[in-house]
This record gives sequence, C-alpha cells and structure tokens, in this order.
Amino acid sequence: MKLSINGQTYDVADAPERLLLWVLRDELGLTGTKYGCGVGICGNCTVHIDGVPQRSCSLQLSVVGDRAIRTIEGLAETQADGSLQLHPVQQAWLDAQVPQCGWCQSGQIMTAAAFLAATPHPTETEVVEAMSHNYCRCGCYMRIKQAVMAAAQTTGVAE
Amino acid sequence: MTTKPTTKKKWRVSRRGFLIGAGALGGGLALGYVFGWPLVQLRAAEALDRGNGRPAGEIATDPAVWIEITPANEARFYLPKIEMGQGVHTALAQIMAEELGVAWEAVRVVQADTARGPVDGDGTTGSTTVSSMWPVLREVAASLREMLRAEAARQLQVGAETLSLADGVVMSPGGDRLTFGEVVQRKQGAWEAPAEPPGLKTGDYKLVGQSMPRIDLPAKVTGAAIYGFDARLPGMLYGAMAQPPNLGAMLKRAAPGTAAAEPGVVQVVIGKDYAGIVAESRAQAHAALDELDLAWDTGKLWTQTEIDAQLDIDPGAGIVIQQEGDGAGALRDDVIEAHYATPMAAHAHLEPQGALVEVLADRARVWVSTQLPALTRTAVAEALGLKPEAVEIYPLYVGGGFGRKYGSDVAVAAARLAQAVGRPVHVGWTRTEEFQNGYLRPPTQHQLKGALGADGRVTALGHWQSSGEVAAAFVPGFILAVTGDFAAWRGARIQYAIPHRFTRTRAVKLPVPTSWWRGLGLLANTFAVESFMDELAHTAGVDPLGFRLRQLPAGETGERLGAVLRAAAEAAGWDTPAPSGRARGLACCSDVGTLVAQVAEVSLEGSKIRVHKVTCAIDPGLIINPDGVRAQVEGAITMGLSSTLIEAARVVAGRIEANNFDVYPLLTMADAPAIEVVLLQGGAAPRGVGEPPIGPIAGAVANAVFALTGQRLRQLPLKLA
Repeated sequence: MKLSINGQTYDVADAPERLLLWVLRDELGLTGTKYGCGVGICGNCTVHIDGVPQRSCSLQLSVVGDRAIRTIEGLAETQADGSLQLHPVQQAWLDAQVPQCGWCQSGQIMTAAAFLAATPHPTETEVVEAMSHNYCRCGCYMRIKQAVMAAAQTTGVAE
Repeated sequence: MTTKPTTKKKWRVSRRGFLIGAGALGGGLALGYVFGWPLVQLRAAEALDRGNGRPAGEIATDPAVWIEITPANEARFYLPKIEMGQGVHTALAQIMAEELGVAWEAVRVVQADTARGPVDGDGTTGSTTVSSMWPVLREVAASLREMLRAEAARQLQVGAETLSLADGVVMSPGGDRLTFGEVVQRKQGAWEAPAEPPGLKTGDYKLVGQSMPRIDLPAKVTGAAIYGFDARLPGMLYGAMAQPPNLGAMLKRAAPGTAAAEPGVVQVVIGKDYAGIVAESRAQAHAALDELDLAWDTGKLWTQTEIDAQLDIDPGAGIVIQQEGDGAGALRDDVIEAHYATPMAAHAHLEPQGALVEVLADRARVWVSTQLPALTRTAVAEALGLKPEAVEIYPLYVGGGFGRKYGSDVAVAAARLAQAVGRPVHVGWTRTEEFQNGYLRPPTQHQLKGALGADGRVTALGHWQSSGEVAAAFVPGFILAVTGDFAAWRGARIQYAIPHRFTRTRAVKLPVPTSWWRGLGLLANTFAVESFMDELAHTAGVDPLGFRLRQLPAGETGERLGAVLRAAAEAAGWDTPAPSGRARGLACCSDVGTLVAQVAEVSLEGSKIRVHKVTCAIDPGLIINPDGVRAQVEGAITMGLSSTLIEAARVVAGRIEANNFDVYPLLTMADAPAIEVVLLQGGAAPRGVGEPPIGPIAGAVANAVFALTGQRLRQLPLKLA
C-alpha cells in the first residue's frame, strides 16, 4: 500500500492494521515523530492528517489511507539551495528557546502548527486549551505558550 | 547513523598530564588531558555498584581529546557530559570558548564517546556538570590558548607577550594576523604544553554570562535530533524481554512455548534468568512475549499500606546527621509537633529507555540514552562476557533523565538479544514497562518538633526523617554506614541559626525499588522543614519572611539565603496584599551551594488548588548562561508542582498501580503557573542549577494554601479536606 508523507509517496507492506507511528519511525526512518505513551494521552506522536493533528500511536494505516500525512520532518520548507526555511512555529520555538530535552517538542510543534492554521488569531485561553493535551516533563509550558502566541503574530502560519 | 572513522591517535604525553595530538581531521591540533585523581577517583569510589562490587565506571586512562583546532579555524569541543535538556553542551562550550578566545560561530560541539573524547566515569548527575567541569575546561582551554600564542609568536618572529588574541585570531602590534587554524597548519615539529599553569580569566567575560542560544535546539525543532530510542542500523531487528508479573518476582523456569511460531518472530532467546524475543517489529516482539512458557516465583504481593508502615518514625532508629546545642534534648517539653509525608513518584521521562546494540566478533557497539555511559559499558561487557574496553558506547541525546537513565536495562537486554541473533537489536521500553519496572522516588515520612522562645524565635528544631533508599542501589554500603543515605536526607538538615538543632535519618530498603529522582530527597525534606517553619512562624505570630530572615545562618550562606528571600519577596509583592481570593506562601532551600527562595500565589477553584504564579529568586554562584538558568528553574518548578498537586505512585497487589498516564497523569499547561525568575550571582564560580529549584515549591504552595484557607496540608500531593 502507498502512504503520502510530506508530499512524497512511500510504498509500505500491505498490512493495514499497523500503527502509523511505528511505520514512520521503524520502517521509514522518520524518527522525528516520538513515542511517549502509545495510548494517545501524551501527544508526543502528533502528526497532521490532512492538516488535522492526530495521535499517530493510535492510528492504523487503514484509517489513514491515502490522506496526506505531515510529520515534523516535513514542516520546514526546503529551499532551492537545499537550506531549510523553518515554519513560523519552529522559528518561534527557537526564538523563545523552548525545548529542554526536546523529546516532546515534535508533538508540541505539530499540535501548535495545526492549531494556528485553524485559529490564526487565538486568545491565550484558546492556546492553553489547545496545548493542554501534550505532556512536557521538562516543564517548558510557559515558553510553549509564549512561542505559540508569538507565532500567531507572524504571517504565513497557515499550511 | 554514520559510522565514525577510527583514526589512529598519535599522542604524546606532555607535562602535567596534557596529551597533544594531531587532531581527528589531520593537520589540526588536539589537546587532551588526563583527569587527575582528585576529580574523578573520589566519585568513582562512590559509584561502585553494590550488586557485585564491580566498579561502575572506567576511569579515563587512555589519551582523550578534549579540544581541537582545525586548519579551517574551527574549535571542536569534545564534551563528556550528556545533553538531556539542561543546556550543558551550550554552557560548557561557552566556558571553553571564553578561555580559548574563539568566536562563538567557530565552536563545534561533539558528544564524546568511548572512541573519541574523554571517558566520563562520573556521569551527568546531581547538578554537578557545570560546577565540576568549570576548573578543568578552563585550564585545558587556557593551556591550548597559550600554546597557540607561543607558536604564533615564533611564526611571526615577535615576542609572545606583544600578541593579542581574540575571536580565534592572533594579532601582532605590526598588524600581522594569523588565525588559530593557520598557526596550527604552519606548525613544524612537536608541540609542547606550557610549563607553567596558564593564567585564567577572572572577569571581563564575553561569552560567560551571556544567554547564548542552545546549540542543540535547531535539531530539536526539526525532528533531526537522535535519541537512544531513535538509533538505527541497517539490518536491525527489535527485541523485548519478559518482565516480572509483580515486584520482586523471580523467573523460575522459561521455555519457548509457541512464541517462535508467532508472526515476525526471528528468534526466541532463553537465558539463565531471562527470556526474550527478537522480531521484525517492536509490536511483534512484544506480542510474542505472551506465548512464552514462563514460571515465576512471585513471592509476596505487597500493598502500599505495608510499604508505608516500614517508614513509621522510630525516634531511636537511624543515623544522627545533625546534633547541635542540646540537640533533641532541647525538644522534650512545650514542643510543637507535626508529621509530614510524601509519596512515591515516577520519573515519567517522556523518552522511554532505548538502546541499540551491535555485537561483532570481538567487540560490541551500543547507541543509548544514558546519564552514565560508564555504567552501561560495564553492564553490557559483563552481559556479553567482554572486557569493558571491547564495548563502545555512543551516548545519544537523552529525552529526559531526571535520575532514571542510570540503569542499563535496555542496553543489557539488547546486547543479549543481539548476541543471540547475530544482528543489531534495538530494545525500547513501552510506557507500561517504564512504570512497572523502573525505580521510583521513595516515599518519605517526617516528624518535626520545634520550640519557640519568648521573643518569637525558634530555640530548638528537630527533624526525624525516614525514606526509602536512594543512593543505596549505586553506592557501597560501607560509605552509607558512615554517612547514612546522603541522597535520601538531602535537604533534611536544619539550616537556620537555631541554638539546638537535631536531624536523624533512616533509609529503608523497601520491597519496591527506589532511588534517584531529580533533587533526590530535596523536594520531600524541604517540603517538611519549610512547611514546619511556616507553622512555627504562624504560631509565633511573625511574618514568615521576617521569621526566616532573623534566623539566617551566619556567614556567606546566610547572606546569600537572605538575599534570595528578599529578592523573591520583593518581586512577588510580598508586602502588598495578594489579589482578592488569593494568598501567597514562601519557602527556601540551600542545595549544592545554590540558594533558592520561592513565593507561590494560589487560589481555590472549588476544592482544587490553583497556582497562579511562582516567583523564584536563585543564586547559583557565577551564572554561565542566564536564559539557561531560567529554563532550568522553570522546569524544576513545573516538575515539582506536578508532584505537589497530583502525582503519587502506589503499589496495589504487588504491582505499581499505573501502567500508563491515564492512572498517573502529569501536570499540563492548563495548570502550569506563570513563573518569574530573579537571578542573583554570589561568587566567582558556578554552582548547580538543575535540582535546587525543585526544593521549595511544595512548601511554598502548601504555605500559601494555609495562608488562604487555614488548612495545614502535610501530605503530598496536597488535597484540601
């Protein structure tokens, strides 16, 4: 079966009951998407399916089908010269020096990017509501909130 | 993952333990340094593995490069410490670049491993990375700087003292310029280390004290950073080990059962005391575990009540670690008493432990998330029947350590399975394996007794403390027999200037494994002592800030503690009324030479405690990277607040109750407070930052809840009646 990931088509074995997270990480080597709990609580494994944030640890390939998957590796734009143009959320993350260990941050960034695409001018309350389903054990919540608010101020947030 | 080229190092040992080589890239200059006994051996003695008396870590005796100047004028720093989010790669690079005199843009940080760079027998632990490396890195960097200066003077045929060095460039008074890379490239003959210890900068810093952006963050926002759970090799397989059904269960007998016939299974591996599966995928490996034919000796199925009862305070038991004035003798009559308790807590690092092992004919290679590569090396060597030198450890980014990533469970499991199957095997624990098979922060109990004088000062204070073991799993018993479990009593001693002080500690080996957790005993002990100080202040009718300020210890520690107390209080508006419906609480601690004071501002939403703001003043000595310190303070407060408000691990019928975050949730952004950090600098050398700010948070919140409600909450997590 075929998967559409970050604009590329991947051929994977025809076993549709498999979970997207492990196909991404272990079969395709896209290890930027992280495992944290396997039951859809921590949010570390968040990817976009047709632009909607989803927990890839709990998503069978049969459910994904031919819909567009975007992972953290596909969030930045690769320029003609090969350099990366970071997504505004990624840039905001650097500006606020958000990550500590970094393990949860792919999920945080993907959650924030999808949220801002749907809600370009959020209130702080909306940001907190959107981001309160992703765990960060290092305790970067204050900076995450600041970074999401800052990214909302920049242009080009929509995917 | 790329295989690193193994360059044959050509080293010369020079004066005072310096090692001089050509650099990994050729044509460069590399400077190494043999760690002296005082720095390393002391710790190695502490780090002996209790189990079978083998040393936990290999001490670096091989030539080891610390720092390298390339012909292209890059400064490559080989850092033996692990980056797990504390920002130490950045802070250590700042220290080296400052003393070497190179531009920040020229700095390249390389994670040392057993094939290149210093071997660290010490581990990345205990808030000691920056403070312990500060003198070593400066001396190595300054020595290299002086070698470059002397050689540049020879090349330019001017006196070395006339040269100025800045940003990796040597300048002569006549305007000649040579980059460090050019000096290195034009060098003929052998380098000599300087005969005299180099002069070190003592101020006028350009990089030290600046919030340099974290070196590791670009890779962490693009998904490119590789952690132990991410390690990959061509042809790799996935492994899983059978885990005991309950705490303390021992494998009596193991047979393959029907596991070999399960989908994707490549091999069933049965060992003396283990049974595992190697399969094409992780899911297949774990699923096939259920089809093994295993017999367990389950032993007793413990309950939490039975475990807690082992910690009941016995006033005559344990080790006295503080006895001043009349000690406990002053606490017989007219005393105020209170009992405090804290529960077990999980580390809940979000990257579960993961290791990839490749076993070759005469050696093994290990890619792993670990805070202690040396311990992992020894454990894997023993499991494979190899000498430690034959095990190469490649430490990767650690996705949260908090004291848990000491163990070598996954590396040993992967090594055994990889050896059996003859292909590289990755073992990564599931979240359930993490909850069920780790060790926990121990439960604690605290009996506090105090006496007040007529002037409203504390005349006597005693603390009887009991805890599950902390250091005992890693430190030899003969040390603990003298010191007690120093990790369990961290923060337990009374720091205030009180005439009669007494602290007694008792560490108990519980049927549930307990050990290191961020700050060790600091959070629990500070919660008990600082809450009780608040009780005494209220009983005396004295403002809790003033109550503390007038009983500060004498000397530098007291001055610095007073300064952080005043700074936190001022920033939090302590002298002004809290907003309607809110109240403030204060707590402080002294830990690893760092002083911390925190003010929490709380309100109630029904019976739920809401923490709106935490104001923290911290004095960690010399500050290398202010934003890095702020981030550590924010993180420690948030993690500590999760313990304060919601976390408790429990044993039910011989197992940890939680298999996942549904039963053991963590604090989320919805309950995360605003955090204001005030930085003070006391001294010319850096102290620890990662753990000290986790100390006061529970006490500060509990004291605020008392101020708001009149309810004194003496157990974590805090729950209103």
